[in-house]
Amino acid sequence: MKQVASEAPPEVWGDAKVRVEGVSKYRLQHGQPFAVLQDVHLYANAGEFVSLIGPSGCGKSTLLNIIAGLEQPSSGTLYLNGRRAEQRLGTVGYMQQKDLLLPWRDVLDNVILGLELRGMSRRLARARALALMEQFGLKGFETAYPYTLSGGMRQRAAFLRTILPEQEVFLLDEPFGALDALNRAQIHEWLLGLWETLHKTIVLVTHDVDEAIFLSDRMYVMTARPGRIQLVQVIDLPRPRRLEMVTTAPFVALKAQILATLRQGPAAEPKDGQQ
Amino acid sequence: MSTPDRAPPVAAQPAMAPQAAPYSGRLRRLTGSWVPAALIVLVILGVWEGYVRLWAVPKWLLPAPSVIAMTLFVSRGLLLDHTLVTFVEVVVGFGLSLLCGVLLACGIAASRTLERALYPFVIASQMVPIIVVAPLLLIWVGYGLTPKIIVVALTAFFPIVVNMADGLQSVDPDAVNLLRTMGASRWQIFVKVQVPTSLPFLFSGLRVAIAVSVIGAVIGEWVGSSQGLGYLMIRSKPQFLTERVFAAIVMLSVMGVALFVLVGVVEKLAIPWWHNEQRQRSLQ
Repeated sequence: MKQVASEAPPEVWGDAKVRVEGVSKYRLQHGQPFAVLQDVHLYANAGEFVSLIGPSGCGKSTLLNIIAGLEQPSSGTLYLNGRRAEQRLGTVGYMQQKDLLLPWRDVLDNVILGLELRGMSRRLARARALALMEQFGLKGFETAYPYTLSGGMRQRAAFLRTILPEQEVFLLDEPFGALDALNRAQIHEWLLGLWETLHKTIVLVTHDVDEAIFLSDRMYVMTARPGRIQLVQVIDLPRPRRLEMVTTAPFVALKAQILATLRQGPAAEPKDGQQ
Repeated sequence: MSTPDRAPPVAAQPAMAPQAAPYSGRLRRLTGSWVPAALIVLVILGVWEGYVRLWAVPKWLLPAPSVIAMTLFVSRGLLLDHTLVTFVEVVVGFGLSLLCGVLLACGIAASRTLERALYPFVIASQMVPIIVVAPLLLIWVGYGLTPKIIVVALTAFFPIVVNMADGLQSVDPDAVNLLRTMGASRWQIFVKVQVPTSLPFLFSGLRVAIAVSVIGAVIGEWVGSSQGLGYLMIRSKPQFLTERVFAAIVMLSVMGVALFVLVGVVEKLAIPWWHNEQRQRSLQ
């Protein structure tokens, strides 16, 4: 009885919005299997802002693809809302690095894409989107085509498209990578304001330590090749967060610790010599 | 008298300045578009006319442009009748190839198996010379419009299939994944991403297709017919009515160019975002 229970993953587990249990992903390279992700454990509670940070090539994007359902793990289990979820496509909002706005649709019709795919009439979807245009700094650009927009506006349009279907979990893959520092700081504060009104769960992938600390409740630090969780850090800075906090002692202490962990790299992993 | 005379230029100057800029812009656009082509045509016609007159070249060997123009005017009824026949063949054949081409391309893009099954036949259809197929069609389907329409469709569908299939397959995989994460079905991905992506490719194919359609119609008529511009040429040649052959060529060219331009206009109306984006890119 006990053995069976430990081999087959349970159907229900906790109440976290997202739970990644022992996920590994192997790919073939030159005919040789190699591990992209190894035994990753991660969760995000309702309304929690979680970041995932790590060097490039540590499988952060692959992990998000797996959570979104674009890829399946080689082993391990995923839970959404505490239930085992084999089929996850269409249940979590996923914003990729590229804004992926469709060039033949204007801004308004781009942002309603998710609603349209769920069968909502265009008229109703447009009305819903129009109500949010101002909050997303897109007012007056409803009928503009993507190529006429600045990078920041394209990013905000992509973000509005992600949140409009009102899923409970949003995965953001380096959404601010293309923005310069000044725009980033502004969009960070704006995003936190929005997140506080939405009460949604966000899993953010980034390679920017400041960004991760400033935004998150908790952050996971990953190692590269194979990607695994090296450190889970609770960010207990008070909310609402202010831009001035980035120079305070607790912030700097957290940053120093995380940077040290990142610098150690996978070489500092003494346990199990499987890889 | 002198005061009002002098006054306007001062007042008009600031108003003139912004007017002058669009005018020179328009001039530049003209020289950048059809004016050089028109000049080349005029020069060629002038040299041609001069050569024929100076060396007194007989009309049956090489008619002067002025003689061809006369023929166009005098035989306009005859020419228009035959042009209309060819026009119908081209338009119906082109429409048929558009329908079949798009359907074939969708099949090729939708399934690997269909692609492997269909592509060899699509290519093989272009390996068999149309001039060989046309007489066979005459035997199989008779003498009327049908064999010509089939010949037009056979020549025109190839660029449509190849371009459209390429377009459907050149879709951005990240955009497809985006729609998948939104829970889109395969059909939704096809309609909302693949088809719009393929439209610029399709129109490239259509512009080639409309040009070869005209050639196809003439070939169809040469092989066997009793009307159409191709028939008119075949009949006029042994009668040494060379100027009428040339007049038919002029009608054929005008029709071909007009149809080509029409496809371009439809393209601009159908996918305005594509042209605006291209222009934006070329400005950067």
